[in-house]
Amino acid sequence: MFTIFKTMLLGIVRDAHTLFWTILFPVAMLCGLGLYFDDPGYAERLLAGVLAMNVLFGATMVTAFNVMAQRNRGVYKLLRATPFSTAAFIAAMTGARTVLALTVSVCILVTAVLLFGVSLSLAGLAGILLALFLGSICFTAIGFFAANLSRDESNVNMISNLISFPMLFASEAFYSLHNAPVWVKTAAQAQPFHYFVKALNLAVTDGRFSGELWTALAMLTGFAALFLAAAAFTFRWDTERASRGRALYRTSQRHSPM
Amino acid sequence: MSLFIEANQLKKRYGQKQAVNGLSLEIRRGEVLAMIGPNGAGKSTTLDLLLGLRRPDEGSVRYWCAEPRQHIGVQLQSTPFFSGFTARENMAMFAAFYGVRLSRRQINDLLTRCGLQDAGKTPAERLSGGQQKRLAIAIAMAHEPQLLFLDEPTAALDPRARREVRELVTSLAKAGTSVVFTSHDMEEVHKLATRVIMICGGAIIAEGMPDRLLKQYQAGDLEELYIRLSGE
Repeated sequence: MFTIFKTMLLGIVRDAHTLFWTILFPVAMLCGLGLYFDDPGYAERLLAGVLAMNVLFGATMVTAFNVMAQRNRGVYKLLRATPFSTAAFIAAMTGARTVLALTVSVCILVTAVLLFGVSLSLAGLAGILLALFLGSICFTAIGFFAANLSRDESNVNMISNLISFPMLFASEAFYSLHNAPVWVKTAAQAQPFHYFVKALNLAVTDGRFSGELWTALAMLTGFAALFLAAAAFTFRWDTERASRGRALYRTSQRHSPM
Repeated sequence: MSLFIEANQLKKRYGQKQAVNGLSLEIRRGEVLAMIGPNGAGKSTTLDLLLGLRRPDEGSVRYWCAEPRQHIGVQLQSTPFFSGFTARENMAMFAAFYGVRLSRRQINDLLTRCGLQDAGKTPAERLSGGQQKRLAIAIAMAHEPQLLFLDEPTAALDPRARREVRELVTSLAKAGTSVVFTSHDMEEVHKLATRVIMICGGAIIAEGMPDRLLKQYQAGDLEELYIRLSGE
């Protein structure tokens, strides 16, 4: 398991495309918007927003594309011929993605502290890291789920956009929903990104583990569990619809000994 | 027990196409079994069913142990690898899927055995077609399986690489590994196989030791027999 996790992490870090979108782009976005608005109050919201958006796109979209590409190349078909379980594979990939998200987030946090004077308490920092940890798991699982619903590259692009953008727009990542219509507020509360942004905002601004923060983290945990289960349940080994079965066969069902 | 796998009356349909139609076969210990047949005859689907990669619509597959995947090595036709990883990393990764942790030396030995001693640090997707095929075979051997499935192992290889793969299969068989392979090269099948199964229309149309088959059908060589029986 450790070898698989380590190799996957190495693969992510070595990929220039991934590095650009998950490290340079969010740091540049934070710097650009932070310098443009030049407001200490907004810097805190911006920090939470950039952290959350980075995890949303980095985990959901990159995972969806990776899973689709690996499946189309037949890697999962070969993987299925091994005794390694689907759940363990998803866990290893999610773990690698989570470590990357946490590392990138630390870079973003350091930039925000040094460039915009955002102050963070220890409890606030712990809250941010916990939210990032849970968010990475949740949105990586959503990436798997999006890939499982897709057949090819154009399909995965559309589906991951259809999932990610409504979540981003119906959240308070970069603006307040205070004056939004009731249905938008209601829709926002039915998706994980709302609780992720809320948890990050509370951790950055309050700097303590309030009841509200715990509630947001609990909701995020619930969504993470839900999408992990959905990812494992809908996982497909190859591209052919004919073989789109349930991934988690019991061994005894698949291999009857003589 | 002298059998590794026993398949009974396997049937598999994709839409209107009956890919496998009531096929029964045994895979025995110590044999090198060749599965031959025209494209679309159902060889790869049969392999998939035997490996548990697909579920048969009808029929059953029984194995010599409860977790056969731990003891079976597989090289697929498509030679899939994890993109962005070197040949060495792909080997380490796939070995880990079998719960085997390979040392650098073990990986180098395996790569050398498959003629890839200089390719360890090269990203797998940048290897030539022949090198990728040999890497796929090296990966299939990484956990020292008792039974090895090779789907067209010498396809797209140059004559030298072809010979190396044949020698590899022969040495594996001598060391006690059972091998099941598919091929369109009848000369290769005659050289390597201890038993041949010919599949056509998803069913077995001929089966036996190569020389006995030739005698039984009074054919000069396997190619002649293949063309005669498959109607190609």
